[in-house]
Amino acid sequence: MLLVRDVLDKQLLDRQGHKMGKVDGVVLEYGSAGPPRVLYLEVGAVTLAHRLGARIGRWASRMAQRLAPVHHESYRIPWTRVRGVTLEVTVDEAVEETRVNVLEAWLRQHVVERIPGSRR
Amino acid sequence: MSAGEVHLERLIGRKVHDANGKPVGRIEDVLAERVDLECVVQEFHLGPYAMLERLSVRFNRILLGRTRDPIRVRWDCLDLSDVEHPVMRRDGRDGRDGRVMQG
Amino acid sequence: MKRILEIALGIVTGIGGFLEAGSLATAVQAGADFRFELIWSIVLGAACLAFLVEMSGRLAAISKHTVADAVRERFGFPFYLVAISVMLLVSFLVLAAEIGGVGLALQLVSGVSYRWWAIPVALVAWLLLWRGTFGLIEKGVSVLGLVTLAFVVGALQLHPPLGDVARGAIPHLPSQDSAHYWFLAVSILGASISPYLFAFYAAGAVEDQWDVSHLRINRVTAGFGMGFGGIVAIGALVLSGLVFHPAGVKVESYEQMPVLLTTSLGSWGFPLFVASLGIACFGAAQEIALTSSYMLAQGLGWQWSENLPPAEDARFSLSYTVMIALATIPALAGVDILKLTNISMVFSAASLPIVVGPMLIIMNDKRYMRDYGNGWFSNTMVALITALAFVLALVSVPLLLKGG
Repeated sequence: MLLVRDVLDKQLLDRQGHKMGKVDGVVLEYGSAGPPRVLYLEVGAVTLAHRLGARIGRWASRMAQRLAPVHHESYRIPWTRVRGVTLEVTVDEAVEETRVNVLEAWLRQHVVERIPGSRR
Repeated sequence: MSAGEVHLERLIGRKVHDANGKPVGRIEDVLAERVDLECVVQEFHLGPYAMLERLSVRFNRILLGRTRDPIRVRWDCLDLSDVEHPVMRRDGRDGRDGRVMQG
Repeated sequence: MKRILEIALGIVTGIGGFLEAGSLATAVQAGADFRFELIWSIVLGAACLAFLVEMSGRLAAISKHTVADAVRERFGFPFYLVAISVMLLVSFLVLAAEIGGVGLALQLVSGVSYRWWAIPVALVAWLLLWRGTFGLIEKGVSVLGLVTLAFVVGALQLHPPLGDVARGAIPHLPSQDSAHYWFLAVSILGASISPYLFAFYAAGAVEDQWDVSHLRINRVTAGFGMGFGGIVAIGALVLSGLVFHPAGVKVESYEQMPVLLTTSLGSWGFPLFVASLGIACFGAAQEIALTSSYMLAQGLGWQWSENLPPAEDARFSLSYTVMIALATIPALAGVDILKLTNISMVFSAASLPIVVGPMLIIMNDKRYMRDYGNGWFSNTMVALITALAFVLALVSVPLLLKGG
C-alpha cells in the first residue's frame, strides 16, 4: 500500500458508508527504534492549511483557536480504526459521534434551519 | 532520538540529499505494510518515476519502451531529524547505499 | 422501456441544456459578423463536449466518483485548490451572465429593467434548488429547454443555402478581420465546452446511481444529446447570418436579438425568443450553481446530494446559496450583460486545461476505471482536446484584448 496514492486525500467513510471528509493528513510516528508507524489520519482545515505552507498553517492554527477554542485541532482517527482501504478509506466510527462535522452541525443549527423549507 | 510525530502530507515534495549533499530526488510516496492492526512504513519512494507511480500512470511503459522504477529508500536509511532537509544515509549494518536494489 | 425513457431524457437534456447565454450570444455575434464561416467551431465544440461528457459519465458510473473527487484524490489538495479556485471564478462570471440573461428576457416582456429582475430571478432559482430534487431540476431544465428548438425552426423557415452552411462546417481561415474571427472562435469553443456541463453530468450520474449497465445510455446520451444541442446553436448562428449579416448589423446587446425569430416565425417569434432566452439562462443558472457546490463538496469530502433536504447537507446547500447571492451583484449593478457574457466565455475557455488535463490520467487509472478505462481512441481524443484546451488558454486573453 502506498500512503499517498492510496490513503492521503481519499474519501473517508464511516461504519454506515456516510461521508466523513477526505483524509487531509497522515501522522507518522518517527524516531523510535524500528520502522515508523502510521499513528493517525487527520481531518481538518488546519491540516490542509499547513500543506500550503508553514506560515499559512500557523496563521490557520491561530484563527482556529480564536474561533473555536474547544474544538480547534484537527480531528484524529487512530490507524487501528481503519477497516479497509479501497477507493475510499473506511473507518470504524460513526460520523455523528465525531467532531468532524462540527462546522456542518453549527451551520445546520444556526443558519440552515433558520431558513424556511430546509427540511422539505 | 526520541519518538516524534511527522506529518506525511508535509513530507511530500521535499528534496532528499545524500550524506555528501548530492540530490537524490523528491519524496513522492511511502510504501507501507499492514501488520495486524498496525501500518508500518517500509520504504520511501523518490523521484519523477515515483510521481508517475503515485498518479497510477502506465504511460511510461508506452512512452519509454520499458518500465522505470522509482528510487526506493529503505525506512532506516532516511534521516528525518531535520524534516525540512531529509538525508539519505548509508545502512550502517552492511555499508550499502540506502537504496533498495532494483531487481 | 425504462432505458428508452432514460435515453430520451438524456438527449433532451443535451438539447435543452446546450443553449444558454454564452452559446446564444457567441453564435449570434458569429452569424452577424461572419455569416456561416464559424459553424465549424460549434461543430468542434460540440464534438469535444460529447467526448468529455461520455468520459465523465463513464467515470461516475464505474467508480461512483466524479471528476472533482478524482482531481483531489489523485493530484492532492494543493492542486485541487488551484483548480477549484479557477472553476469558482469562472462559474461566478458565467452564473452572473445567466442571471442577467433571464433578467433581460423579463425586461423584453415587461419593459422593467433587468436590474430590477436580478433579485427575484436569483430568489426563484435558489428556491428551486433549496426545495427541489435533482430529478426535478434535470427534467425541468431539459423539457422546458426544448423551446430553444425555435432557433432551428426559424433558421429552416428562412431557407438557408445549405451548400454555404455545409461549407461553414469545415474549418477554414478567415477572409478578413482575423483577430475578431479567432476571438469569436475561441469564445464559441469556451461556450460549448463548458466545464460545468460535464461536471454536472457526472454528478448527475452519481445522483441517479448509474452503474455498468448505463454505459451504453451514457454513450448515446453524450453523442446525440450534445450533437443535437450543437444544432440548436448552429440554428441561432444561421438565423443571425441570414438576418443580421446582410444588413451589416453589429450585435451589441440581447435586445437586438428577438428580431431573429420575429422575422422567421412571425408573431410567435417574440414570445418564443423571450421564452428561449429566459428558460435557457435559468436552467443554466441552476446547473452552474449546483455544479459549484458539487465541486466544492466532492473535493472537500462533504456529504452532498441535491436529493437530500438542505438540513442534511448544510455546507453543500449554503455554498450554492452564497454563490447565487454573489452572482446577483453584477446584474443588480447594471453591468452590460452581453459584455459580461463575452468575458465569461473567454475565461471559461482559458480554464479548460485544468479540468481536461487531469482526465487524461484519471481515465486510465485502473483503480477508478477497472476494465472500462480509455482505449487508444479515447485517449487520443482526450490528448487532442487537452492540447486544444492549452492553445485556447494561451490565446484567449490576448484575443479578448485585441479582437473582443
